[in-house]
Amino acid sequence: MHSLKEGADFEYSAGGVTRMVLPLLTHMMRNGLVEAADWVCLNPEAPATVRMDGITIHHLNLLRERRVGYGLAKEIIWRVFHGLSPPTEQELLWADDFVDYTFYNRVSAELIRNLDSREDFDLFYIHDFQQLPVGRMLQTLKPKILRWHIPFEESMIPTEWSGFLSTYLDSYDAIVVSCRRYLDSLKSLGHKGASFYVYPYIDQSVYTKPTQQDLNELNSRLGLRNDEKIVLLVARLDPMKGQDAVIKAIPRVLSDVRKVKLVIIGNGSFSGSKRGLGLSKSETWLMELRHLVKSLHIEDNVTFAGYLPQRLLNAAYESCDMSILPSRREGFGLVVVESWLYKKPTVVSTKAGIAELVNDGENGLLIEPDDSAGLAEKISNILTDEKVAHTIGENGFLTSRKCLMDDGLRAEAEVMQELL
Amino acid sequence: MLDVTAILTTAISSAAIIVVTWLVAHFVGTFLTRILRSGPPLVSAHVRRLTLTFIWIVGILLALEQIGLRIEILLLLIAIIGVAFAIANRETLENIASKYFADFYIPFKVGDSIAVHGYSGKVIEINPISTVLINDNEDLISVPNSLFLREVVVNSTPKAWKKVAIPIMISNDIPLPNFESDIIRSCNKLRHRLDERFPPIMTVKNRGDKTTELTLTLMVKEPETKDAIVSAVTKKVAEVQDQMKKNVHQHSGS
Repeated sequence: MHSLKEGADFEYSAGGVTRMVLPLLTHMMRNGLVEAADWVCLNPEAPATVRMDGITIHHLNLLRERRVGYGLAKEIIWRVFHGLSPPTEQELLWADDFVDYTFYNRVSAELIRNLDSREDFDLFYIHDFQQLPVGRMLQTLKPKILRWHIPFEESMIPTEWSGFLSTYLDSYDAIVVSCRRYLDSLKSLGHKGASFYVYPYIDQSVYTKPTQQDLNELNSRLGLRNDEKIVLLVARLDPMKGQDAVIKAIPRVLSDVRKVKLVIIGNGSFSGSKRGLGLSKSETWLMELRHLVKSLHIEDNVTFAGYLPQRLLNAAYESCDMSILPSRREGFGLVVVESWLYKKPTVVSTKAGIAELVNDGENGLLIEPDDSAGLAEKISNILTDEKVAHTIGENGFLTSRKCLMDDGLRAEAEVMQELL
Repeated sequence: MLDVTAILTTAISSAAIIVVTWLVAHFVGTFLTRILRSGPPLVSAHVRRLTLTFIWIVGILLALEQIGLRIEILLLLIAIIGVAFAIANRETLENIASKYFADFYIPFKVGDSIAVHGYSGKVIEINPISTVLINDNEDLISVPNSLFLREVVVNSTPKAWKKVAIPIMISNDIPLPNFESDIIRSCNKLRHRLDERFPPIMTVKNRGDKTTELTLTLMVKEPETKDAIVSAVTKKVAEVQDQMKKNVHQHSGS
């Protein structure tokens, strides 16, 4: 048994799902709702087993070829559910990459089954579409819940996929999606089993007021000046996140507000990184964005911050004048809640799940993705009208309560208790 | 006074017959497994079991004859008991036999909606004696299996004709994820014969200490191709199994 130290042995750079599920588990354990938990996930770089906060994490590894195939299949499924896939990608179900996707799920299911024979779990909670087949593969009568984190919109789902989807979805005792709209779609697709929507949630205790030292460090690291209006965009580097639409809006904003800086925070995902699944789309996207900035001659008005540790991310929220979630499609969009916690006004894409919590002009402003002109107008409105910005920020803060850990924990516990 | 030599000779002869029986059973079993591997696995298993049981009965009777037991009387006794048992349990045996045939020839399974002899409902259990249905009023209806061979059965399950469930049994030495991958990859080559909405799917039915029972489910595009598809896939399953067994042995030997 070796002890690992954050910062020295590993960086904690969790994606959206882990940022939500890990605090949920630790809170449930603290509240006595869960005694112990085993977590199974893919991570070729990590030790096979890690103990953290009472949770045993089992890291799976796959041969590189299998990993690439799985990654490509996962990417296509992700693209389809985000409305990005051309019709030829519907061939996936019969491709070798899908065999690798099934292989990974079978390996996960076999490990979970072995763990269950040792630990005798009470419940299985499967997270997200990449593990969809696990529920059926587990071959257990114990309760199984699937949490679907990405968008679930009937109009996006190819008719050829309905059979495969229902085969796997029906194997779960309950399905949880991220908003009411997705639940309606799930039912409209013909799913008869128990299904719920639970808004994603964050652990607000992490989003503290930054120290002056952290604020200074952020300013010097990103070259921020006090006389600049800061527009914050926190998202993974991925075309789906729509960073390009905001960059295109900046020249128009500059005609209304002289000193503006767009700060783009975020790096690649596990799938997009060379050390993860090796799809390298984040690097390509970053190059395209840099090229766009250069072509618009706004290098002084856009900063790519990459990954920031939590304390500097908090400093960024505190320092900014507003935030934007311009995603072309987004499962939910917890970064909006993070921004609300700092009482910052936000502009939110109508294609994000969280849009159903936004009343346009009250607790945020809604935009259509890719509408750079409309986006520029809304950014200018907020940056030039302090009163509007303040009111929207305050109302947003009140709305954030719907997406905090306490509410999320209560809702998740209700779903679990219904099955136990 | 006991003739020790005679007793020893008798005991050795009996033991030798048992050993020979074991050898014959082993070779015949292996031979049958090979020649029947492209047929339906359940049929292969039943043929193998019946043949081996027969070999062992003959072997044991011969061994008993060596130690002086009159096997004519023993055979007569077995025959009388058998006939009496058959007469006493005629209907039960008829149902069991029907279940045996229904396994292969009646096109329904647990979960299907069927109608037979004026009764209809969803099949929730098929046991050796009867098939249990549940109807819309949640009444349980027990239908004797023999009825399915005499009456017209209607399976009204949507897409029931499309579904092909191929039972597979693999040794636990074979890694399931790899086996599943190889089989699905092979089935994908028959894509033009299968319903595009339903890719092949493998389900674990039962796990034993030494073997795992699986079901490979395919949805065919045309009903008349069912048998040909089953035959092709079953053959492929046997090939993959043989190859993987060899790999396991090579691995354990190296």
